Amino acid sequence: MKEQLTVSTPFRIITLALILVGIFTFIAGLFSDPQRTWANYLIVNYYFLSLAMGGAFFFVLQSISQSGWSSAFKRVPEAMMAYIPFAAVFFLILYFGLHDLYHWSHSEAVAGDHVLEHKSAFLNIPFFMIRMIICFALWILFARILRRLSLHEDVADNDNVMVLFNKSELFSKIFIFIFAITFSFTTFDWIMSIDAHWYSTIFALKNMVAAFLHGVSVLTFIVFILYRKGYFPFLNKYHLHDFSRYVFILSIVWGYFWFAQFMIIWYGNIPEETIYYYVRWQEGWKVLFFLEIGLNWAIPFLVLLPVKSGRNMTVITVVILFLIIGQYIDLFVQVIPGTTGLLRFGWIEAGLILGYTGLFALVVVTALSKARLIPSGHPYLEESLNHRF
Amino acid sequence: MSRAFKIGVFNEEEKFISSIKSLQEKEFIIYDVFTPYPIHEVFHLLRRKSRLPTAAYFFGLFAIITVLAFLYYTSVLDWPIDYGGKPFNSFPSFIVVTIVLTIFTVTIASLAAFSARSKLYPGKENTIFDHRSTDDKFIIVVNTDSLNNSQLGQLVSLMQEEGAVEVLDKEFETINA
Repeated sequence: MKEQLTVSTPFRIITLALILVGIFTFIAGLFSDPQRTWANYLIVNYYFLSLAMGGAFFFVLQSISQSGWSSAFKRVPEAMMAYIPFAAVFFLILYFGLHDLYHWSHSEAVAGDHVLEHKSAFLNIPFFMIRMIICFALWILFARILRRLSLHEDVADNDNVMVLFNKSELFSKIFIFIFAITFSFTTFDWIMSIDAHWYSTIFALKNMVAAFLHGVSVLTFIVFILYRKGYFPFLNKYHLHDFSRYVFILSIVWGYFWFAQFMIIWYGNIPEETIYYYVRWQEGWKVLFFLEIGLNWAIPFLVLLPVKSGRNMTVITVVILFLIIGQYIDLFVQVIPGTTGLLRFGWIEAGLILGYTGLFALVVVTALSKARLIPSGHPYLEESLNHRF
Repeated sequence: MSRAFKIGVFNEEEKFISSIKSLQEKEFIIYDVFTPYPIHEVFHLLRRKSRLPTAAYFFGLFAIITVLAFLYYTSVLDWPIDYGGKPFNSFPSFIVVTIVLTIFTVTIASLAAFSARSKLYPGKENTIFDHRSTDDKFIIVVNTDSLNNSQLGQLVSLMQEEGAVEVLDKEFETINA
């Protein structure tokens, strides 16, 4: 059984080239069309942060529920958590683009605007940055604690393993509360405040579930890629079943929250609320609007409904690829109408996606290579290796 | 005519399952098994197939179409009312009702289909092979009508080797299962 992942030189060269493409696109974009660049910078930043946070959420949920089946794969969500510090740096850089993105950051726009004046106690630049720094500090701290406890399990003796195991469960319980609060703040800040006059109280929950859904999808995707490369040889149809049930049920929850937000606004029919969906129902946007629910809910739901397709790796991979596109469209529809309002996909969008994909891949694979791929010390490891039901 | 059965009683799930496997290896036909809780593996071992999920899927399909047709009939054809200028056939507001009624219909219809298929009805008196199967014991029932003496001996010793706490002989006049 191959237990140690190494970062191959071709992989490193490809990802570094992609990162260079991203950096070049970002700089060139700032000169040609700053607002569009910043908007896309926010989308891809948030996209990959949500994957990392989704992985973190999966990790803490597994340790809180003391799940056995997933313990052999827990290095993968840990590696996804390693991306959080990078996202922190990028979000701090966003400081320079605030005026291009957020209407409320212009003091002359706030003056005289009753709603924004009322909200300015919360929505102002210093407090915005403070919230961002606090949230990232907490996430990085907990990601480090959980990672360290998990690594210590491998070298600890039998009595200490249980102490570490219980400790990581305790920290997971604390983190899940912190996650709920901080992630709500950050989605409100970064995504919802783009449409500063509009608000939805279910917004944070919807985005949290979106992050969880797509985090788990990408996690499954990484496990599949590693399996194809010869790692995780014990992966059987019961593991596939559990992974695909996660994707299946979360896509239903995502659809539920998406519809709950839409339905209340559609039915209430209050102009300051419906304006959000009115803009997104204009020509062109309407296609994306329906594509979003099709990719994120309808396809996973209908395809993964039979048990057999939930145990077929090819079928699950195709569904995950749809979900990866679906999350991008979801964020595109949330961010762009409030900033540039241009329905366009060009070199700025493509270049930034490539750059961040390269970075995320490099960070995850490097983090995976730093520890044994299969955690030897986890108390439930044997259960996971011989998982069946 | 009464029918004779050998009944193996087991304390543990693992012994029970390995006993089913070795009985099948020796080509004994297992009449039925009873467990305190559902075990997926037994379902696969006895090669039982359930068409209930397929039935439930079609109940759901039927329910969705019926409920949407009903809502269309009531709010568009029969008694159209203008709610805040919304179209009569307003699909988003139908969805919640459709979900709830579909769940309700599928539940009731599946229960009815399951009861009809397994001939269950309120007040039915089931043949209980061993009362301890309703408590904490695992039970294998083998019909011994067509078995000769040497096979019977083999059956009993096999179950005892696999760790049966008891192997009983029972005869029943009629079977209601």
